[in-house]
Amino acid sequence: MSAEDNRTGSSARPPRSPRFGGRRRFLFRRRKYCKFCESKATWIDYKDLKTLQNYTPERSKILPRRISGTCAKHQRELMRAIKRARMLAFLPFTSD
Amino acid sequence: MTTYETVFITAPNLAEDVERSTVESMTAIVSERGGSLIASDRMGRRRLAYPIKKFDDGVYIRLLYDAEPDVPHELERRLRLSDHVLRSLTVRLESDWAKDAKEKAAQAKIRAEQEAKEAAEAAARAAEEGVDAERAESAPDGAKTEEE
Repeated sequence: MSAEDNRTGSSARPPRSPRFGGRRRFLFRRRKYCKFCESKATWIDYKDLKTLQNYTPERSKILPRRISGTCAKHQRELMRAIKRARMLAFLPFTSD
Repeated sequence: MTTYETVFITAPNLAEDVERSTVESMTAIVSERGGSLIASDRMGRRRLAYPIKKFDDGVYIRLLYDAEPDVPHELERRLRLSDHVLRSLTVRLESDWAKDAKEKAAQAKIRAEQEAKEAAEAAARAAEEGVDAERAESAPDGAKTEEE
Protein backbone atom coordinates (compact mmCIF):
# COMPACT_ATOMS: atom_id res chain seq x y z
CA MET A 1 0.00 0.00 0.00
CA SER A 2 1.49 3.34 -1.02
CA ALA A 3 1.31 6.48 1.04
CA GLU A 4 -1.03 8.05 -1.49
CA ASP A 5 -3.45 5.16 -1.18
CA ASN A 6 -3.44 5.56 2.53
CA ARG A 7 -4.14 9.25 2.34
CA THR A 8 -7.02 8.88 -0.09
CA GLY A 9 -8.37 6.08 2.05
CA SER A 10 -8.32 8.15 5.20
CA SER A 11 -9.81 11.19 3.51
CA ALA A 12 -12.71 9.04 2.37
CA ARG A 13 -13.45 8.09 5.94
CA PRO A 14 -15.68 10.29 8.01
CA PRO A 15 -13.69 12.68 10.21
CA ARG A 16 -13.64 12.26 13.99
CA SER A 17 -15.01 8.76 13.89
CA PRO A 18 -14.44 7.19 17.32
CA ARG A 19 -12.96 4.10 15.64
CA PHE A 20 -9.78 5.98 14.80
CA GLY A 21 -9.10 7.26 18.26
CA GLY A 22 -5.94 5.24 18.93
CA ARG A 23 -2.71 6.17 17.22
CA ARG A 24 -3.78 8.32 14.32
CA ARG A 25 -1.61 11.38 14.70
CA PHE A 26 -3.49 13.46 12.18
CA LEU A 27 -6.66 13.37 14.20
CA PHE A 28 -7.22 16.13 16.68
CA ARG A 29 -6.66 14.95 20.23
CA ARG A 30 -7.85 16.99 23.17
CA ARG A 31 -4.95 18.55 24.99
CA LYS A 32 -4.43 17.28 28.52
CA TYR A 33 -4.42 19.83 31.29
CA CYS A 34 -3.87 19.89 35.02
CA LYS A 35 -7.25 19.80 36.74
CA PHE A 36 -5.79 21.16 39.95
CA CYS A 37 -4.38 24.23 38.18
CA GLU A 38 -7.79 24.71 36.60
CA SER A 39 -9.47 24.80 40.00
CA LYS A 40 -6.56 26.83 41.46
CA ALA A 41 -5.94 24.31 44.20
CA THR A 42 -3.09 25.29 46.48
CA TRP A 43 -3.23 22.04 48.43
CA ILE A 44 -4.78 18.64 48.00
CA ASP A 45 -6.63 17.16 50.94
CA TYR A 46 -5.77 13.58 51.84
CA LYS A 47 -9.31 13.17 53.21
CA ASP A 48 -10.92 14.12 49.91
CA LEU A 49 -11.52 10.60 48.64
CA LYS A 50 -13.60 11.56 45.63
CA THR A 51 -10.70 13.44 44.11
CA LEU A 52 -8.03 10.93 45.06
CA GLN A 53 -9.94 8.01 43.64
CA ASN A 54 -9.81 9.61 40.20
CA TYR A 55 -6.03 9.21 40.33
CA THR A 56 -5.83 5.66 41.68
CA PRO A 57 -7.11 3.19 39.08
CA GLU A 58 -8.05 -0.44 39.79
CA ARG A 59 -4.72 -1.59 41.09
CA SER A 60 -4.71 1.49 43.27
CA LYS A 61 -1.43 2.70 41.85
CA ILE A 62 -0.84 6.42 41.47
CA LEU A 63 -1.83 7.50 37.96
CA PRO A 64 1.28 8.80 36.14
CA ARG A 65 1.51 12.36 34.95
CA ARG A 66 1.82 11.36 31.31
CA ILE A 67 -1.70 9.96 31.47
CA SER A 68 -3.51 12.37 33.76
CA GLY A 69 -1.77 15.51 32.49
CA THR A 70 -1.30 16.85 36.03
CA CYS A 71 1.46 19.44 36.37
CA ALA A 72 4.62 18.56 38.27
CA LYS A 73 3.76 20.62 41.33
CA HIS A 74 0.30 19.19 41.72
CA GLN A 75 1.43 15.65 40.95
CA ARG A 76 3.80 15.98 43.89
CA GLU A 77 1.01 17.22 46.14
CA LEU A 78 -1.25 14.47 44.86
CA MET A 79 1.36 11.83 45.58
CA ARG A 80 1.69 13.12 49.13
CA ALA A 81 -2.08 13.14 49.61
CA ILE A 82 -2.49 9.59 48.27
CA LYS A 83 0.29 8.28 50.48
CA ARG A 84 -1.26 9.91 53.53
CA ALA A 85 -4.67 8.51 52.62
CA ARG A 86 -3.12 5.06 52.42
CA MET A 87 -1.68 5.39 55.91
CA LEU A 88 -5.17 6.11 57.25
CA ALA A 89 -6.74 3.22 55.32
CA PHE A 90 -8.81 5.60 53.19
CA LEU A 91 -7.15 4.04 50.15
CA PRO A 92 -5.61 0.58 49.79
CA PHE A 93 -1.88 0.17 49.24
CA THR A 94 -2.73 -2.49 46.72
CA SER A 95 -5.76 -4.36 45.51
CA ASP A 96 -6.12 -7.33 43.24
CA MET B 1 2.14 28.63 66.84
CA THR B 2 1.54 26.19 64.06
CA THR B 3 -1.65 24.57 62.91
CA TYR B 4 -1.75 20.82 63.07
CA GLU B 5 -4.32 18.28 62.09
CA THR B 6 -4.40 14.86 63.71
CA VAL B 7 -6.63 12.11 62.44
CA PHE B 8 -6.82 8.88 64.38
CA ILE B 9 -8.81 5.71 64.05
CA THR B 10 -10.28 4.04 67.10
CA ALA B 11 -11.57 0.49 67.32
CA PRO B 12 -15.22 0.21 66.23
CA ASN B 13 -16.27 -2.00 69.15
CA LEU B 14 -15.69 0.61 71.88
CA ALA B 15 -18.49 1.65 74.18
CA GLU B 16 -19.60 5.20 73.59
CA ASP B 17 -18.24 6.54 76.89
CA VAL B 18 -14.88 4.81 76.40
CA GLU B 19 -14.55 6.40 73.01
CA ARG B 20 -15.52 9.80 74.39
CA SER B 21 -13.05 9.59 77.25
CA THR B 22 -10.29 8.58 74.82
CA VAL B 23 -11.00 11.62 72.65
CA GLU B 24 -11.24 13.86 75.70
CA SER B 25 -7.91 12.69 77.06
CA MET B 26 -6.36 13.58 73.70
CA THR B 27 -7.98 17.01 73.48
CA ALA B 28 -6.90 17.64 77.07
CA ILE B 29 -3.25 17.39 76.01
CA VAL B 30 -3.74 20.24 73.56
CA SER B 31 -5.31 22.59 76.10
CA GLU B 32 -2.92 21.60 78.92
CA ARG B 33 0.08 22.65 76.89
CA GLY B 34 -1.25 26.01 75.84
CA GLY B 35 -2.59 25.02 72.46
CA SER B 36 -6.00 25.99 71.21
CA LEU B 37 -8.32 23.35 69.87
CA ILE B 38 -10.20 24.56 66.80
CA ALA B 39 -12.20 21.48 65.91
CA SER B 40 -12.78 18.03 67.30
CA ASP B 41 -14.69 16.25 64.63
CA ARG B 42 -16.03 12.70 64.72
CA MET B 43 -15.92 11.72 61.07
CA GLY B 44 -17.85 8.59 61.86
CA ARG B 45 -17.47 4.89 61.39
CA ARG B 46 -16.29 3.72 58.03
CA ARG B 47 -14.88 0.69 56.32
CA LEU B 48 -11.08 0.48 56.27
CA ALA B 49 -9.39 -0.05 52.91
CA TYR B 50 -7.41 -2.89 54.51
CA PRO B 51 -7.75 -4.57 57.91
CA ILE B 52 -5.78 -3.04 60.80
CA LYS B 53 -5.28 -5.19 63.91
CA LYS B 54 -7.92 -7.54 62.50
CA PHE B 55 -10.55 -4.80 62.40
CA ASP B 56 -12.35 -4.13 59.11
CA ASP B 57 -14.05 -0.96 60.35
CA GLY B 58 -12.82 2.04 62.27
CA VAL B 59 -14.12 5.24 63.83
CA TYR B 60 -12.33 8.28 62.44
CA ILE B 61 -11.70 11.25 64.68
CA ARG B 62 -10.12 14.48 63.53
CA LEU B 63 -8.55 17.15 65.70
CA LEU B 64 -7.56 20.56 64.38
CA TYR B 65 -5.47 22.73 66.68
CA ASP B 66 -2.96 25.55 66.95
CA ALA B 67 -0.03 24.64 69.15
CA GLU B 68 3.70 24.56 69.73
CA PRO B 69 5.51 21.54 68.29
CA ASP B 70 5.68 19.69 71.63
CA VAL B 71 1.91 19.14 71.54
CA PRO B 72 1.72 16.89 68.48
CA HIS B 73 4.81 15.15 69.78
CA GLU B 74 3.16 14.24 73.06
CA LEU B 75 -0.17 13.55 71.38
CA GLU B 76 1.38 11.07 68.98
CA ARG B 77 3.14 9.34 71.84
CA ARG B 78 -0.12 8.96 73.74
CA LEU B 79 -1.98 7.79 70.66
CA ARG B 80 0.65 5.15 70.07
CA LEU B 81 0.35 3.93 73.67
CA SER B 82 -3.43 3.79 73.69
CA ASP B 83 -4.95 0.37 73.09
CA HIS B 84 -8.10 1.83 71.58
CA VAL B 85 -6.36 3.67 68.78
CA LEU B 86 -5.60 1.67 65.65
CA ARG B 87 -3.79 4.29 63.61
CA SER B 88 -3.02 7.98 63.66
CA LEU B 89 -1.59 10.63 61.38
CA THR B 90 -0.53 14.16 62.24
CA VAL B 91 -0.02 16.74 59.54
CA ARG B 92 1.33 20.26 59.86
CA LEU B 93 -0.91 22.45 57.73
CA GLU B 94 0.62 25.04 55.40
CA SER B 95 -0.72 28.54 55.93
CA ASP B 96 -3.24 28.51 53.04
CA TRP B 97 -4.51 25.12 54.00
CA ALA B 98 -4.70 26.05 57.68
CA LYS B 99 -6.72 29.17 56.89
CA ASP B 100 -9.14 27.21 54.75
CA ALA B 101 -9.48 24.45 57.32
CA LYS B 102 -10.19 26.97 60.06
CA GLU B 103 -12.83 28.70 57.99
CA LYS B 104 -14.48 25.40 57.26
CA ALA B 105 -14.37 24.43 60.91
CA ALA B 106 -16.00 27.74 61.87
CA GLN B 107 -18.72 27.23 59.27
CA ALA B 108 -19.32 23.67 60.42
CA LYS B 109 -19.63 24.94 63.99
CA ILE B 110 -22.22 27.54 62.98
CA ARG B 111 -24.10 24.96 60.94
CA ALA B 112 -24.07 22.47 63.82
CA GLU B 113 -25.37 25.14 66.19
CA GLN B 114 -28.11 26.07 63.75
CA GLU B 115 -29.07 22.46 63.27
CA ALA B 116 -29.19 21.91 67.00
CA LYS B 117 -31.37 25.00 67.33
CA GLU B 118 -33.68 23.84 64.56
CA ALA B 119 -33.84 20.37 66.01
CA ALA B 120 -34.73 21.84 69.40
CA GLU B 121 -37.38 24.04 67.80
CA ALA B 122 -38.75 21.13 65.82
CA ALA B 123 -38.86 19.05 68.97
CA ALA B 124 -40.66 21.83 70.81
CA ARG B 125 -43.11 22.21 67.92
CA ALA B 126 -43.66 18.46 67.78
CA ALA B 127 -44.31 18.45 71.51
CA GLU B 128 -46.82 21.31 71.12
CA GLU B 129 -48.49 19.58 68.22
CA GLY B 130 -48.53 16.39 70.20
CA VAL B 131 -50.33 18.23 72.99
CA ASP B 132 -52.73 19.77 70.45
CA ALA B 133 -53.33 16.43 68.84
CA GLU B 134 -54.00 14.90 72.21
CA ARG B 135 -56.43 17.68 72.97
CA ALA B 136 -58.07 17.24 69.57
CA GLU B 137 -58.30 13.55 70.14
CA SER B 138 -59.59 13.88 73.63
CA ALA B 139 -62.11 16.58 72.67
CA PRO B 140 -64.28 14.48 70.31
CA ASP B 141 -64.05 11.65 72.78
CA GLY B 142 -65.29 14.03 75.41
CA ALA B 143 -68.06 15.14 73.03
CA LYS B 144 -68.98 11.56 72.40
CA THR B 145 -69.15 10.76 76.04
CA GLU B 146 -71.33 13.78 76.54
CA GLU B 147 -73.61 12.61 73.79
CA GLU B 148 -73.78 9.24 75.32
